[in-house]
Amino acid sequence: MEKYDAIIIGAGPAGSSAAYTLAKSGFKVLVVERGRVPGSKNMFGGRVYVAPLRKIFDDFDKSAPIHRWVKKEKISLIYGDEMVSIEYEDIDTTSFTTYLTELAGWMAKQAESAGATIITEVRVDNLIMEDGWVKGIMAGSDKVYSDVVIDAEGINRLVLENAGIVPKLAPNNVALGVKEVIKLSKEDVDKLFGLEEGTGLAWILMGDITNGVPGGAFIYTNRDSVSLGLVILLSEGIKKIDEHISRYVEALRLHPLLNKYFKDGRIMEYSAHLIPENIKNLMPSKLVYNGLLIAGDAAGLLLNLGYTYRGVDFASYSGYLAAKAYEKAHEIGDYSESGLSTYNDLLKNSFIMKNLNKFSNVHEMMLNKRIFEVYPSIMTETARKIFNVEYESPKISEALKEARRDKVGLFTMLLDLYRLYRRL
Amino acid sequence: MTLEKKIVRKGMRIEDILNSNIWDVDYEPHITVDYNKCRNCKLKPCLRLCPAECYTLVGDQILFSYEGCVECGTCRVVCPEDAVKWNFPLDGRGIHFRFS
Repeated sequence: MEKYDAIIIGAGPAGSSAAYTLAKSGFKVLVVERGRVPGSKNMFGGRVYVAPLRKIFDDFDKSAPIHRWVKKEKISLIYGDEMVSIEYEDIDTTSFTTYLTELAGWMAKQAESAGATIITEVRVDNLIMEDGWVKGIMAGSDKVYSDVVIDAEGINRLVLENAGIVPKLAPNNVALGVKEVIKLSKEDVDKLFGLEEGTGLAWILMGDITNGVPGGAFIYTNRDSVSLGLVILLSEGIKKIDEHISRYVEALRLHPLLNKYFKDGRIMEYSAHLIPENIKNLMPSKLVYNGLLIAGDAAGLLLNLGYTYRGVDFASYSGYLAAKAYEKAHEIGDYSESGLSTYNDLLKNSFIMKNLNKFSNVHEMMLNKRIFEVYPSIMTETARKIFNVEYESPKISEALKEARRDKVGLFTMLLDLYRLYRRL
Repeated sequence: MTLEKKIVRKGMRIEDILNSNIWDVDYEPHITVDYNKCRNCKLKPCLRLCPAECYTLVGDQILFSYEGCVECGTCRVVCPEDAVKWNFPLDGRGIHFRFS
């Protein structure tokens, strides 16, 4: 029977990055993907940080499906029909917008060109376990064997659940992202968002748009479309989302301050995905077992800071590191947990775990309701008092004091500010 | 209504929003729901949180239809009664994203 050096579950960013890296080093790699083509089951918000991808893929910029380079960042607090924003513009750029369906398809092509075998339309159901070792994968009654399996199955990690490695996903460990992709012309995207050709906007909005549920909205400009979506923490969403979730996205699209961007577009696609949250709880207790490495969303490796999401670059880089750990294990001919344990060290010393550790308390902060409703309302009201003036201009301190009154105590506000400062 | 006419100036029904997607619907449902368990459920978060509105209320009973599923996994996670038996579709079927 044919045996592979490595079998990779899932041709998403983590899986294809691992496959590409291993195939380039001459290993016999099989990627098993459940979608009709790689990318067809992938979904994300809209922006990818490029540095890790440039390190993994040769000539990334030459052929990767990059829509727009993000040169404008905007964060808005929105309350009722008012909005206060901070905008940052730069001529340099470190991230781009794209469709993940395209990018994941491209990554899989690179892996294939490097010599990996990608088989699609096959759902992996189980790991083959023998005496505490992972020996391969099962799809229905079909079995395929390998020295190592790299599990990059994504956030709905049924294979790991079936193997008893992780418990069922809990609502406080994931957020739900829902997105509409809205078609516009390339020229309209440029004009509406004040962009030069080939440059893009990444826009995060927080406020009463999530009905007090921790989360926010995002707008990313693609080549000739806009991605508009919402992220909510599921544990809170269960209690507080009081009409259908698609209505919240629609409320954004029809919002008096936002509708001008979308009113002449049409919806090209509607998608949803779960997002790792509360990483400390979500991460499997180990990412390395005898004959098994776990990467990407399945490993819980995603950074959500509220003002920025990093999923694709984290996933890709963890896949790349899993491949490097495989190479090391191959050198010493030991695919046991200890032979593969380089993966732990590589992760720990990479930007992935450094970032996740540094920001490990951010999740708790997101549970502070004041951040999503009270402070946006104070900011918009203060701004209104300062800018919407008829005769008498208030001092900023007066405006702030009046806006704050009845909403939150001064001491609580200062304490929240301090916490925010400490954690971010 | 053709796609071209679906200008997003006004509110749209979820059915029309979902119409822009492509599926290769599986012959067998990849998700099954134990309606007996739904009877005890007060909160019924699936009704509001399944992004494709696969869960609807007929009278006071939950009705689930798998055809429009976008395979996000939310229903399984939010179900307080553990009534959702969830898996991905087989043989490349189900949702086929192109622009996401």
